[in-house]
Amino acid sequence: MSINTKKVIKNAYRISKVRGQTALRIRVPGGHIETRFFALIDEIASRFGNGTAHITTRQGLELPGIDFERIPEINKMIRPLLESLGLDREITDDGYPSAGTRNICACIGNRVCTFANDDTTAMARELERAVYPNDLHFKIAVSGCPNDCIKAALNDFGILCTVEPVYDASRCIACSACVETCAKAVTGALSLRDFSVLRNRELCIGCGECIRKCPTGATRRSPEKSYRLVIMGRTGRKNPRMAETFLKWADRESIVKIIQNGYAFAQRHIDRSLEKEHVGYIVDRTGFATFKDEVLQDVRLGEKVIVAKHIQWGGYRYTSDAGFR
Amino acid sequence: MGYQLSREQFDRFLDRLQDDYRVFGPALDSDKGAFSDTDRITYKNIRRLDDLELNRKSYFSPKEIFFPIRETLFRFCEGEPTVPQIDDKKIAILLRPCDSNAIDRLDAIFLENGPFEDFYYKRRRENVRFFLIECATGFDSCWCVSMNANTTKRWDVAFRFGEDEILVDVKSEEFLPYLDDCPQKPFEIRFIYENTKKVRVPEVGEVTLDHFAHELWNEYTARCIACGRCNTSCPTCSCFTVLDAPLGAEKKMGERWRAWAGCHIDGFTDMAGGHTFRQSRGERMRFKTMHKINDYRKRFGKHQCVGCGRCDDVCPQYISFARCINTLSDCIEEGKRK
Amino acid sequence: MINPFLPSKMKILDIIPETEIDQTFVLAGRKPVKPGQFFQLSVPGAGEAPVSVSDFEDDKLFVTIRKVGRLTNALFALAPGDYIFARGPYGNGFDYRDYVDSDLKVIAGGTGLAPVKKVIKHFIANKSIASLEVLLGFKTPQDILYRREVRAWVDAGLATLTVDKAGPDWSGNTGLITGYLKNLDLSNLENCKFIVVGPPIMIKFITIELLLLQVPEENIWVSLERKMSCGLGKCGHCKIGETYVCLEGPAFRFARARRLLD
Ligand SMILES: Cc1cc2nc3c(=O)[nH]c(=O)nc-3n(C[C@H](O)[C@H](O)[C@H](O)COP(=O)(O)OP(=O)(O)OC[C@H]3O[C@@H](n4cnc5c(N)ncnc54)[C@H](O)[C@@H]3O)c2cc1C
Ligand code: SF4
Ligand code: SF4
Ligand code: FES
Repeated sequence: MSINTKKVIKNAYRISKVRGQTALRIRVPGGHIETRFFALIDEIASRFGNGTAHITTRQGLELPGIDFERIPEINKMIRPLLESLGLDREITDDGYPSAGTRNICACIGNRVCTFANDDTTAMARELERAVYPNDLHFKIAVSGCPNDCIKAALNDFGILCTVEPVYDASRCIACSACVETCAKAVTGALSLRDFSVLRNRELCIGCGECIRKCPTGATRRSPEKSYRLVIMGRTGRKNPRMAETFLKWADRESIVKIIQNGYAFAQRHIDRSLEKEHVGYIVDRTGFATFKDEVLQDVRLGEKVIVAKHIQWGGYRYTSDAGFR
Repeated sequence: MGYQLSREQFDRFLDRLQDDYRVFGPALDSDKGAFSDTDRITYKNIRRLDDLELNRKSYFSPKEIFFPIRETLFRFCEGEPTVPQIDDKKIAILLRPCDSNAIDRLDAIFLENGPFEDFYYKRRRENVRFFLIECATGFDSCWCVSMNANTTKRWDVAFRFGEDEILVDVKSEEFLPYLDDCPQKPFEIRFIYENTKKVRVPEVGEVTLDHFAHELWNEYTARCIACGRCNTSCPTCSCFTVLDAPLGAEKKMGERWRAWAGCHIDGFTDMAGGHTFRQSRGERMRFKTMHKINDYRKRFGKHQCVGCGRCDDVCPQYISFARCINTLSDCIEEGKRK
Repeated sequence: MINPFLPSKMKILDIIPETEIDQTFVLAGRKPVKPGQFFQLSVPGAGEAPVSVSDFEDDKLFVTIRKVGRLTNALFALAPGDYIFARGPYGNGFDYRDYVDSDLKVIAGGTGLAPVKKVIKHFIANKSIASLEVLLGFKTPQDILYRREVRAWVDAGLATLTVDKAGPDWSGNTGLITGYLKNLDLSNLENCKFIVVGPPIMIKFITIELLLLQVPEENIWVSLERKMSCGLGKCGHCKIGETYVCLEGPAFRFARARRLLD
């Protein structure tokens, strides 16, 4: 059997443990899929695979147990799936043009969740269009609010949708519901002075809890949406760590542009001797300052955006196991 | 006097009113819900027919127009209290029969209860004119008929908003000049006589101390989160708290406000020394229920609740006040059978 | 149009310290007032609160205030010659005519003494009742209000005084006020009338005891405290059932008060 593994992998099929068998990797940006595709997925899995599908850790679907020679046939069938991604490119019968960056994850977002500050599915799809079929090792996730259910903090680019509360004292009844919820469940950014609410903008994380709790609509949503971008969180074999905040109160356009710039940055600095160097390690080598300069190129950040001056990532290093003895 | 207006004629009517009236009505506040990408219907200034949203119920009632959520009673300057002036332009409010009746319920508290009329309420209320919106079908969550609040005579002009035409009945002569060039057509407003939701309200006297102690209230201790939305959305809730805030650096100056208060909200009964009455939320639910359908009625001879159903619409815990009243009635019936 | 929320200035003539946290303010002013009624006192920017009138003379009003929070702190920062703002009096107080010819027993706990002090003084000076007995309870000897007057009442055999807790230098009674009910002369129970004022919990237990002693509900008066924001029957804070404490109270016959359930 002769298989060009590089080509197959790029076409979104896996080289599996079982010789001769592959698995189809279906992209599901934002983890949200139209159920009309279930019949198609079922057909592929039962006709060509082993009748099962795996829901991946990154919200994609993987259909195992497929013989390599079936790939062309399957690629034809999955055309509607590719079309549903809404990409700015022609869709062919050749399957996925690339395995792409890791599936872009999102929590359920404001289509359903009361906490969410934005439609995370839509944002994930927008990002998919912006970065696919880019093929570098990037992990991107969108969380509807700073609760971060999708664990954006473990991604290279984690987006937390935020909202800036707008306070109108003339509607305020000084019930303290906002102050209390922020103090108990968030950062304590609010205080009541002389029966009006003061907000410490530095402590405020834009979660929107105060807005949810206000019984009179005195604290409302700002018309503009805003995002916190946390970067270079990861698991992995060297130094697993949480992402750190890069930007706060940024707008959507800037976020998309910065991530696109991130790919260009990686292309410039990647160590090509490695199979596919992970962006986090590239930043480790270049340093945060270079990364920052390059990704912020041509990005017009609004006045209220706060940018991290320095970032010191934490996490643990497996090499420190040596200290156990 | 009846009229038939085209949409353009209605807009012209609104235009002509602007010099003498501020017109308020239910309007879409897009993107202003508590959850992201949600809207709310609230009372806003209306300049054109298109500003109105008549297919959904307003989240807040019109009461905030003449009973502001937070109002300055006076400022102490140089040690003397000065009462702020208000815009004394007349106010025309587009409202449904339930809200018209709700204003009557507020009037009883502010203008009848106690030895004095409420100065602040009265000076705004005197300027209010009622533009009645015909409401012959209601919404699913309404129970105005059960509360005898489905009909009203308290209106100055009544409107039926049709697809292409607006039928108008003018009762107050002050509005005739604004319509003098409009085609006349007799029109009589209709009311709703049956809601899908029905509430059985106990008679005064049927509620006894046994029903105070009844376990039915415990459910609400477990469910209610004391958020106060049922109070702030209610067109008949009239409670407020007086608050003082210092003004300027020299603390001798200050401002006195009043702000809406709610019997479900923590602190409503807190006294100096740390004593709180009605600590449990079930007790608060009972207090509100009794006030809306029993206590107020004993005092003023009518229900306070007008069955607008807003409390049911807004409760984040899906607590239904309608069901609560029915449960109370069931308990009373059960007691009678025993 | 009358603006019932508008307060007027009253001059502080004198401030009499009572305890570490209680002071009696003597205010210049003449207003028709009954004992048990209250005023809404305020300091601009600090707040407004109901305070019972504790005494009155020709051109003077007395209020005894406990320092507990925002407004009362501001009041304590004032000195004779300063002004405070007041509106009132409000509410239903005690009507002297209700007690004519009776054996009147006044039972007061802590600051509850303030609203009935004038009643006691009135009936000491005015012999329209058959007899007067006073039962007073305070937390500690340091909390006793109106020391000079209270001493005089005790010395005259008119009053029994007890404190909940005391140090070794206290030679008087100790223990809860309920324990001293038996000291009252109840031999002619039908002719006895009771006024019970104090914290909610004290009122509760005293009235339970009195009912056990077969005192008719109509012969007991209590004064209820509630949060109040207006004193005018508008703000709703003081409402219990269909009753507004600021209008129909704070003094109630117990026959009515016991049906006021929160
Ligand atoms: C009819 C009547 C008569 C009265 N007569 C007198 C009198 O003669 N003398 C007198 O001293 N007092 C009297 N009071 C009580 C008096 O009104 C209060 O002490 C006064 O309101 C205190 O106001 P403040 O602004 O100083 O205290 P605040 O700052 O309002 O609060 C004082 C204390 O109350 C508690 N508290 C208040 N609000 C809250 C809250 N939201 N949450 C938790 N705790 C809270 C706290 O323990 C706080 O320390 C009377 C009350 C009534 C109803
Ligand atoms: S809206 Fe519902 S949860 Fe909130 S206070 Fe009212 S009953 Fe309770
Ligand atoms: S209690 Fe509920 S239904 Fe009744 S008037 Fe108020 S908001 Fe409307
Ligand atoms: S104190 Fe406001 S209603 Fe009684």
